[in-house]
Amino acid sequence: MNSAEWVFPAVQSLHFIGFAMSIGTIAVVDFRLLGFGRRYLEPSQLAADLAPWTLAGIAVMLITGPLMFSTDAVSYHLNPSFQFKMICLLMALLFHFTLHRRAVRPGVGPLPAKLAAATSLLLWSAVLAGGRMIAFV
Amino acid sequence: MSTPSALERIESTGLSTAIREGGLPYPIIGGFHLLSIALFGGMLLMTDMRLLGWALKTRKVSDVWQMALPWKRLGFVVVVATGLLLMWAEPVRLYRSPSFWTKMAFFALVGLHALVFRRGVYAHPEKLDAGVSSRAKLAAAVSLVLWTGLIVSGRLIAFDASFDQ
Repeated sequence: MNSAEWVFPAVQSLHFIGFAMSIGTIAVVDFRLLGFGRRYLEPSQLAADLAPWTLAGIAVMLITGPLMFSTDAVSYHLNPSFQFKMICLLMALLFHFTLHRRAVRPGVGPLPAKLAAATSLLLWSAVLAGGRMIAFV
Repeated sequence: MSTPSALERIESTGLSTAIREGGLPYPIIGGFHLLSIALFGGMLLMTDMRLLGWALKTRKVSDVWQMALPWKRLGFVVVVATGLLLMWAEPVRLYRSPSFWTKMAFFALVGLHALVFRRGVYAHPEKLDAGVSSRAKLAAAVSLVLWTGLIVSGRLIAFDASFDQ
């Protein structure tokens, strides 16, 4: 990947499309749980509709991310923003596939659903902010 | 290359300096830029893929459209607002960056795309519920190409010679 100068920005662009697909769809479900957005669908239906695309986006993210990491593994490993991003990513993924998955099921009370949505938005925002910081720290 | 003096004046304003050299403001604005790209881009992908028949096929086109519309609007406003702030922070370097001008060209094409397809496609999504017209599919395909171009050229800005540090 270090051999041609266009490869890194190309992989980075795919990484962007991957996170748009995953974090975009997650955010819309979270906003719906918080009571925003059109209500023609129940949050559980919306989440079920979007889940395959969330997963596809996560897959693209998790393939392109390590590819970029491999170009300069030592610097990334030592970069505090990268470390912060990885901790947040691990928490966001764990949360998404455990508590968040339960929170979008039908019949969950409004308070736990809203708490889960707010936590999810916070964790994924932290992942994005941490990623943005890598170039600066 | 000579630089328009207006850009140098922008760069010497307090706001520009604060974003550029303040430490946290630039990544925070950049973070919101990314967050709105996720919101806008994610919903754009879903609506375009629905028009192309790749996603959410069990839902009506107009339902998918209505679901995505408020988030596309919000995402668009935030991505443009944060983009303008990021431009305000370093107008001289951006002026010298070829990829920045490529990105602005794509942005102009996005506006043209909206003008061309608004009446036939986007103003009446309910007309597409019975069947997606080939014009609507063309609109979706062009939209995906344009927004991919925006992302790629935006990413390339950081690799341009004017940004060598």
